[in-house]
Amino acid sequence: MENLKLNKEGHVSYIKSLDSKRQDYEYWLSEHLRLNGVYWGLTALCLLDAKDTFNKQEIIEFVRSCWDSKTGGFSAFPGHDAHIHTTLSGIQVLATYNALDEVLAGEMLKQCISFIKDNQLSDGSFQGDRFGEVDARFVYSALSALSILGALTPEVVDPAVAFIKLCYNFDGGFGLCPGAESHAAMSFTCIGALAIVGKLGELSADQIENIGWWLCERQVPEGGLNGRPSKQPDVCYSWWVLSSLAIIRKLDWISFEKLREFILKSQDPKSGGISDRPDNEVDVFHTIFGLAGLSLMGYDGLVEIDPVYCMPTSVTKTFKKYPY
Amino acid sequence: MHGVKRREWTQELVRQKRLRDVEKIVAYKTLTNDVLSAKKDGVFTHQKLDTTRKLLELNPEFNAVWNYRRDLISALKSELSLEFWNNELAFTMQQLKLFPKVYWIWNHRLWCLNHFPQSPIGKWQQELAIVSKLLTMDARNFHGWHYRRVVVGRLEQMLHTSLNQQELDFTTEKINANISNFSAWHQRANLLPKMFEKGQVSNEKSFVEHEFRYIINAMFTDAEDQSVWFYIKWFVKSDIVTKSLSPGEYASLLQDLKDNITLINEDELEFSGKENMWCLKILCVLEELQMKDVGRVETQQRKILDKLTKIDPLRQNRYLHLAQDSKENVD
Repeated sequence: MENLKLNKEGHVSYIKSLDSKRQDYEYWLSEHLRLNGVYWGLTALCLLDAKDTFNKQEIIEFVRSCWDSKTGGFSAFPGHDAHIHTTLSGIQVLATYNALDEVLAGEMLKQCISFIKDNQLSDGSFQGDRFGEVDARFVYSALSALSILGALTPEVVDPAVAFIKLCYNFDGGFGLCPGAESHAAMSFTCIGALAIVGKLGELSADQIENIGWWLCERQVPEGGLNGRPSKQPDVCYSWWVLSSLAIIRKLDWISFEKLREFILKSQDPKSGGISDRPDNEVDVFHTIFGLAGLSLMGYDGLVEIDPVYCMPTSVTKTFKKYPY
Repeated sequence: MHGVKRREWTQELVRQKRLRDVEKIVAYKTLTNDVLSAKKDGVFTHQKLDTTRKLLELNPEFNAVWNYRRDLISALKSELSLEFWNNELAFTMQQLKLFPKVYWIWNHRLWCLNHFPQSPIGKWQQELAIVSKLLTMDARNFHGWHYRRVVVGRLEQMLHTSLNQQELDFTTEKINANISNFSAWHQRANLLPKMFEKGQVSNEKSFVEHEFRYIINAMFTDAEDQSVWFYIKWFVKSDIVTKSLSPGEYASLLQDLKDNITLINEDELEFSGKENMWCLKILCVLEELQMKDVGRVETQQRKILDKLTKIDPLRQNRYLHLAQDSKENVD
């Protein structure tokens, strides 16, 4: 194996550079992902032990400016619409800065909790916003957000768990809703959601074995992981698959050595950042999930990440554990 | 970004790009400001239907603009012609062809169909034909498969009839076109139990035998791909098999399957000098089933797991774990 090293300084300066690309058309085209991007960037910096690279006050002000007072959630950018997913990102960023009490308190906190809870449907699933798209991703986002806010209740949790169990498939994977094909990102959202609410025990021993089998078959000979059978490997699955394996305590069912090599080969050796696979254009999404995967594998010099919340464990250990 | 090759950005290339971007950025920002301020002010005019469309053509992932567009359509509904609705569907199709993986476009299309004046059955039938065509062009698109299940669900509601048989035939067609289309195998494994449960299979035993021959065939067609193996792993344990066959018939089905897999594996060993890892993985499952369900005592499981640790080193810890388990069972 060639001598591959983690380009730590490169990644820090790449993430730092993201907000200085206003001369690029793509910068403007990605406003609808800005708050998610801030969460990805900040978490990546935390893993690189370079949290101070971002200006804390500026970021907190940005999160505050994304508040959608009409609906009571966070949108991706000021003037956009609140969505369950971006609301989670906002809460994650605030929690990482220990600024939840400062920004999301009183009426605002109440409104935010209602926004999330009101998007739960009668079958226990969650829609992303009032337009009705249902997806296991939103169940995860909702439960994770409520958990960070310490606002889970059995009325929310029990039907959500029932819904997640219906997303389980015969092959050991999970789909975005009952009947949908297994997809590794959904393994993370479903297993992660169960872990958040302390309900992993709802899965049988047989199911756990099957889940582990399906997940470890995501590793392809190149070392990377794919999201579904017969698909190309992609660095982001280093997170979706590995975090799921970590939660069910079968992390070592894939080859660390080969996956590490694949992630490290997907770095931009010059300007930093990680791409979906070697020699492709980097982005902050693949940068965080590549780093998070490496962290789960105990990569030397990276800060420890929590496989359930995808945030540094130093932050998540302060969260109240449900049932309270 | 997925699948975009990295380019070497020289200073000159960056300069040229930024020069080109200047106008694009101005146009995009102007349009965005116009739309977002109208959205904020609650402006619901036909003119905004045009500007939101223009913006969504530039950026189909701008969810707040799709939201605003839906609010516009709802507000103007009484003034909108049938032609508008058909154009809206054509617009989403044009966008889906360019961006087949953007959730928001699929959502908007579904919303349009749900809100189409009278939401006629014909429209949904047409939609099923369209999604069939999309899945011919992009056979594993999971948005497409998900969307298809939603459309079929709506049609079944409207027609008060089950489309399971038709959908099963669709999966057969997809699998025959490409044996490693796991999306189709997945759909098949979901449909069959429903069909058995609803009594839609006239002769269950012969159906199971027929399906068995079908998968043996698939196995011989491509023994390298994991799709068919995941299906087999489900099939041999599923209720549709165990409940349709007598214990004796079930035992001989398992043995028949094992013999065929062994044959494929031996062929491969002879041809390439290596055993087929998926043959071994499934043989391991069959050994266990024979032990549990048929009461066979002798098992090759340990031997198979030993081989797998060597020929599939990526997953060796799983095999070590299984070997440990089987040892505990024997002890």
